[in-house]
Order: sequence, then structure tokens, then C-alpha cells
Amino acid sequence: MSPVMSQPISKQIFRAYDIRGLYNKDISADVFYKIGLAAGTYVKQTMQGTQITVGSDIRQSSPPLAHAFIAGVSSTGVHIQHTGTTSFGQTLFAGVTLKADLIAFVTASHLPPEWNGIKFYYGDGVGLPEDKLMAIRDLVLQDKFAVVSWDKIGKVDSVDAKTNYKNFFTTHFKFKKKLKVALDCGGASMTFSAPEIFTALGLTTVPVYCEPDPTFSSRPSDPKPKNLTTLVEAVKKHSCDFGVAFDGDGDRAVIVDNTGTILSADQTGIILGKHGIKKKGTVIINVECSKAVKEQLEPLGFTIKQIPVGHTFLTLEAKQEHAPLGIESSGHLILPEYFLFDDALVVPLKIAEILEAVKKPLSQLVADLPLYPTKKEEIACADELKFDVVKQLKQKLTAEYPHVNTMDGVRVDLENGWVLIRPSNTSPIIRLTVEADNDTVLQDLTTQFMTRTLDIIKKNNPLKG
Amino acid sequence: MTRLFGTNGIRGIVNSEMTGGFALGIGQAWGTYLKKTVKRPRIALGTDARLSSGMLKSAVAAGLLSTGCDVIDVGLVPTPTLQYMVKEKRFDSGVMITASHNPPQFNGIKGIAGDGTEFSKDTEEAIEALYFSHHPSLAAWTDVGTYFTWDGARDLYISGILSAVNVSLIKKQHFHVVLDCGNGVGSLVTLTLLKKLGCTITPLFCEPDGRFPGHNSEPTQENLGVLMQTVPKVGASFGVAQDGDADRAIFVDEHGAYILGDTSLSLVGKYITKEKSGGVTVTPVTTSTCFEDVIRANGGSVIYTKVGSPVVARTMIQTKAVFGGEENGGLIFPELQYCRDSAMTLAKILEILATEKRPLSELIAEIPKYSMYKTKMACPNEKKISVMNIVVEHSKNNPDVIKIDRTDGVKLYVKGGWVLMRPSGTEPIFRVYVETKDKAFAEQLAVTYKALVERLIQHG
Repeated sequence: MSPVMSQPISKQIFRAYDIRGLYNKDISADVFYKIGLAAGTYVKQTMQGTQITVGSDIRQSSPPLAHAFIAGVSSTGVHIQHTGTTSFGQTLFAGVTLKADLIAFVTASHLPPEWNGIKFYYGDGVGLPEDKLMAIRDLVLQDKFAVVSWDKIGKVDSVDAKTNYKNFFTTHFKFKKKLKVALDCGGASMTFSAPEIFTALGLTTVPVYCEPDPTFSSRPSDPKPKNLTTLVEAVKKHSCDFGVAFDGDGDRAVIVDNTGTILSADQTGIILGKHGIKKKGTVIINVECSKAVKEQLEPLGFTIKQIPVGHTFLTLEAKQEHAPLGIESSGHLILPEYFLFDDALVVPLKIAEILEAVKKPLSQLVADLPLYPTKKEEIACADELKFDVVKQLKQKLTAEYPHVNTMDGVRVDLENGWVLIRPSNTSPIIRLTVEADNDTVLQDLTTQFMTRTLDIIKKNNPLKG
Repeated sequence: MTRLFGTNGIRGIVNSEMTGGFALGIGQAWGTYLKKTVKRPRIALGTDARLSSGMLKSAVAAGLLSTGCDVIDVGLVPTPTLQYMVKEKRFDSGVMITASHNPPQFNGIKGIAGDGTEFSKDTEEAIEALYFSHHPSLAAWTDVGTYFTWDGARDLYISGILSAVNVSLIKKQHFHVVLDCGNGVGSLVTLTLLKKLGCTITPLFCEPDGRFPGHNSEPTQENLGVLMQTVPKVGASFGVAQDGDADRAIFVDEHGAYILGDTSLSLVGKYITKEKSGGVTVTPVTTSTCFEDVIRANGGSVIYTKVGSPVVARTMIQTKAVFGGEENGGLIFPELQYCRDSAMTLAKILEILATEKRPLSELIAEIPKYSMYKTKMACPNEKKISVMNIVVEHSKNNPDVIKIDRTDGVKLYVKGGWVLMRPSGTEPIFRVYVETKDKAFAEQLAVTYKALVERLIQHG
């Protein structure tokens, strides 16, 4: 009775914040069985823990992956609480409530439906940092699993993640005014929680893609502005107070104001900070966030702390700094008065609470904020080259400019704007982000730093040089 | 190991042979097999109460789902409950995670066909071949199976049994039953069933617990001491013990006397053939002659099969039998389903007692008694066939041998009894069974034939 698995597991599936791959190509039930064995071994040996809470998003390939993962974990003597198919927030909330040592969620976030993967969080909702994920990776690649004897096998229990989660929101949010909200779940995992909880809280919802649709046929699961046309129309047509769209698993929310304008995560974050948080403290923002965040929140008594890109850093820093707010420019927002983890559902509910309190339309709160033009460029660069190219840029730019931040890629702060150059963690590209006081400066900075990056790529690539 | 399925599914020590990776591979082979004939197979998945149930169930589910089968998890159930659901709800297959009565370090995977019977040898061999080929046909992400849970299987099964017996007749008697579930899954249906049949219950070891703290889960006489003591102490009508996955039931009379499986099989067979004025019954060659005696006396006939409940069940289907079963307490009732069924056996015994209105010991006393003597002897696997052939040749010239039966091994009918030698499928041994009316004669026959066969093994 030899195990059936034989194909090698690609190292590439282990990313900085999670594990991801194409189903049946990079990842499979066999691979997830081993990841389960590794996660169980890690929890037992490194964390001296005993239990993992696991759930999965709506993706069609999630059930075999989740079950194989469970079999692996259980084989190492670590107990499983299985939440089944849920939104991200439901499983994370269950894990925190059950005091799990590790919380695992099977998802590929906003990626197309043929992708899948898994994310890990500690029992308090803080994401596992890269070095810990790599420790799990090494266990997988080296086949180092602490399998137990028959009498110590981990128990597998099913748990209801939905009721307590809903009760949490009905306890923590009360609305007197019947706000009207357009709700776009994109047919994805938030269909399991958001419509029911919004209704329970007395909000009037205009549903947009709120039926479960694991193939994401209605709109791509990434809530990018170009994918939100239906939501914007619904907000305008039904005169909603605001609209909200979620990503595939439910750790990112995008807000649309009453005029149909799509807010950036920075804008949403500033509004949450300005109007929704009484307890002042350190706000965690990543290096990609707009300079408007600092300009708007510092005068109110907040301290701003910049961190590298990645929601893992966001949750970790927020915990260490006892932060009341965390903003990731990619759309992850955390409000630790509720959860340390980046549950997307708290964002629209906090916005609703703010609107009820300030008695002004959301568009007016948005109008009060400065809007600096930004540009995001993707520069093609081979995976094996991209990190080196950015390293060389770091050296050069640090020597040339007075305000250079190298905690994640290289960010150059100038008087009239800033530039950030980072290698993508997931694709063979280098990302260039620019923000400036006006369009002329923006164009100028973009051209200037793009040319410098391309020059270094050429120098490093003899075939093209 | 080239052969995975034994007489009752695949068995092994957990995390030794029976690992999550192995179960995942079996799930994939199973799904690949089903997908050959069904576009989107639906499989019911249940487990007994062993500690590794959750782990192995998850692994098998992952395998089935990844090959494009829908999986309906019915949770903790007796094996016959899962079989009944598969048949009634028209599933394409069922998977039961159980090692039946084996010690707690074991677990296993048992296959159920779409009609609720256990897998045939052909199906098992096809799945094994697919497992060893290491090429499961994995479904694309768009076709991966869906996972459901359903906790209605136990109620469905209980109502099935209640519709197959005379409930009002049983209820009137207000029986008192001592129920020993041996910490298996039986209690999850049997307690409810007995309540619905108006019985008072004295429960023993009715908490499912995969460590089997009460007693070893095989319902042998040595393991049922507490049950045998409790029945007369509480003044119960009788006692019943179920094995780990509750497909077999063994009874204890109102005085606490252990009733052999052959005897309870014969009692039920007698009652059914009497009620139906005859009919075909089916049992393996190892069953005591007392069964044939009572069946014939009531106008019925007996067909003997190889050992193994799947063979008995399939023969019953082919011959439209009215009843069948094994000597180990595995009784099969075609009006409910073609598989061993302990809860149905219990309901039937209650019905018999309610009809006869006499104590169980009295009904048992009417079943003829034989002496059975069992032993085994070593024989290299490669010699087994030639040894059996020589025994047959030798017996043809033996005037004491009345009839030679080759259904399973060699069964020799002699004056006053029979001798059966069966090659073990897993070990290099022959199992020898001798049955006669007279105890001393059984031992004498056993000694004679053992000596004969040992001589043949040496020289053959």
C-alpha cells in the first residue's frame, strides 16, 4: 500500500503571503495532502499547538483540496475544525473564536477560477509571515512529516462558522436609518455572509451578483474598477447611499459612493480614519499608499507607520502597534477594534455607521479629500532577473536622492510626488507606482523612472543588450 | 501487496498501511472506475466510530471529488444504514470507512455497489488495478465533485426497518432488551429503533468510542461477559450485541446464555420459511447443519455458497431467496436489503418473540444441536490446490465419504457429520471445520482428517 503520489511539487507555488497555483497543474489533492502533513507537523513541532481551523472559498476545486489538506493535518495528530465552504471572514472568525493554533483558508483570492491555493493565519488573525511559510514549504519539499500512530490521529470536527459570525455583527452594529446599499459579491464567497447580515442589520440591499457562482461568470473576482460597471450603474439607478464590491474570498472591499465614483483603498481608509475611529493611534499603511493618507490623518492626531506591501505585514504591524486602522493600497483594510484579520465585511458596515453619524452623503466626504493623480506601470522582467534589477536600482537611487525608503522595493520621496519600484511577488514584472501633485509632474516622473528601470534590465540581460 | 481487498473490504493498521495518502489514492481509483460508466457519479460516504474515521474519510472524499464524483457525507452510521441509503436514494456507490470488529488500531474501506450490496470481486479487482496503475482520471476544475453533508440516513434506515416488521405486535409486548453496542456505531440507530418498538432498554457500552474501552468489538462469548451477567440481573427478555459497524448481531437468552450465530440464524430462518411456507435460503458451507434441518422441516431449501457475505447476498438475489446469512450473526433480509443487517435482525427476533409469546431460551431449545470443532493447519500457499485435489481423489475411494462438495475448499459429508477444509486467502494455512451430532466423534474426525491432510501436505 504505497502512497500514490510521485510527481515533484513545484517550489514556485509557495509565495510570500500564501500558496497558489493552477489546479491540476501546480496543485492537486495529492499536493494539498502533503501541505496538510507539513502544516500539522509545523503546528505540532514548532508551535507546540494542537488544532487547525480550516475552511474554503467558493471555488469549484476547493473541496478536494480542503479534504486532502484535512487528511494530512489529521495524520500528524493535530485536530481539525472544518468550517466548510464559507467567506474568508467566517472561517477566520471561527478560528479566532475556537482559539485555533493555525487558521487555514483554501482560496486563490481574486485570481481566475482555475486557480486555487491556501492562506495561513495565526489564531489571533495575524497572517503567517514569509519565513514561517517557507518553513512549511521546506517540510513539504523534504517530506519531513511527523506522522503519528493510530491512537493519536487528529479528530476532524465540522463547525458552523455562520451563526456566531452573524451574531457578532448584529451585536456590534446597530442602524437606525435604513441605508440603501448596492451589494456586489461577484457570485463569490461573500454570497455566504454579506446579503444575510446586511438584511439582518436592517440595511436595504440592492443585490448585484449575490447568487453563488463558482465560475465567476458574472464578473471577474478581482474588484478592479473595470469589473464594477454593473455595481456603479446599480448605485446610480437605485439611488443608493453607497455600493460595495468584494473580491473572490472576501478579504477586500471596494466602496462606490452615491454618485457612482469608485473609491481607492486609500480614500476609503482616510474616511474610516477621519470619521470612524475615536481612539487615535498609529495607522499602518504600506509603501504604495497615497501621500494624502499622511496629510489627512496626521493633523487629526494619528501617527503614520509605513510598512512593506503585503497583508501579512499589515496584520502583524497592527497587532504590535495596537493600531486602530491599517490600509493596504491593494484594498485590504483592517479595523482591529473588530478583527486583526482583513475581513472585508467590516468595511461597508463601518462606512454605513459613519454615514449615519455624519449625516452627509458619501460623495461629500470624498470631495473633502485631495486627489493626487497616480500611475501604475508594469515593466516586463524575467522572474530570475527582477529582484536583481530592483536591487541595483536601490543602490543607485539611494546614492542620488535624500529621501529613499528601501523596506519594500525602492521608494523615492520628492517634493512634488513619489515613485515606488517593486518586483512583483507573483508575476514576471516590475511594478512602477507614481503619485504626483499634478499630471505634468506625474508624466515626467513616470518617464524618468521607467527609463532608468529599462536601462538596468537591458544591462542585466545580455541577449537583449 | 498485490491484493488490497480482503473478504470484507480493505483493512490495515492506521498510518502504517492505512495512510491518508493510500486512502486518497483509493478514492481516486474508485472515482476513475465509476466515471467509466456514469458521467457524474454520486457516492454516499459514512464511517464507524474509529479514531481515524475523520482522517480517512477526508482522504477518500478528496480522491472521489478530484475525479469528478459528488460526495454525500452521511457521518457516523452503521454499515447497513449506509447500504440502505445507497439503495433507496439510488446512489452510484457507497464508501464505508470501517474495520468492523477488528482491534482499534485497524481501519478499512468497504465498497458498496449501487444496489446496496457489497462490491463484487470483479469491481474490487478493477479498482485495485486502477490504483496500481497510478493514473487516475482527474477532473478539470470545472468538473470537480461537490461535497454535501446529510444526516438523514439513520432515520431513513430506521423507518425502513419499521415498515418491514409488525410494529404494533412488538410494541404490545413491552420487551426489555439489554443492548451492548461495544462502543461501536450501532447505538446511533438501535437505541432509537428499540424505543420506537416500545422496548425498555438497558444500554451497555452505547457511547461510540474508537478505542473500544468496553470490550473488544468482536461479539464472541469471551467478549460478552458483562452482557451475559446483566440480562438475568435486570430481568430482561434477552440481550443483543452488535459488532463495531453493526452489521452483525449476537444474542443472549433471558438466562444470560450465549446463543451461537448458527442457532440464531436457524431460528430466524425457521420462522421465515414457516411464515412463507418454504422458499430458498442461502448460507455459506461453514454453517451448521442445524440450519438446513429447520429450513427443510418447514418446506424450504438451502443453497450453500463460498464464505463471504457478498457471495451470499448475490446468490440470494439470483435465486430470489427468502432469507440468508452467515454463522457469525450476519443475517440478510431481502425485504429490506441484500446485506447483513444487525438492527433488522434484532427487530425480527422481537417479532418472533411477540408472535410466539414464549421465552427466547425455549425457542432456541427447539433448534437441533451439533458439535462444531474448528482447527487450522499450516500449508504453503503453492501447495493448497494440489493438496485439495489429492484429498478429493483420496475421498472418492473412501467408503465413509457420502458426498464431496467443492463449493469452497473441500467439504466431505460422512455418516453423522461433515469435514470442511478451506484454504485461507491471506495466510499459508487451511482452516478445518468438523461438525457432528456427537462431540467425541467431532474430535475424532478432526484428528483423523488432520493427520491425513498433513501427510498429504508432506508428500504432495
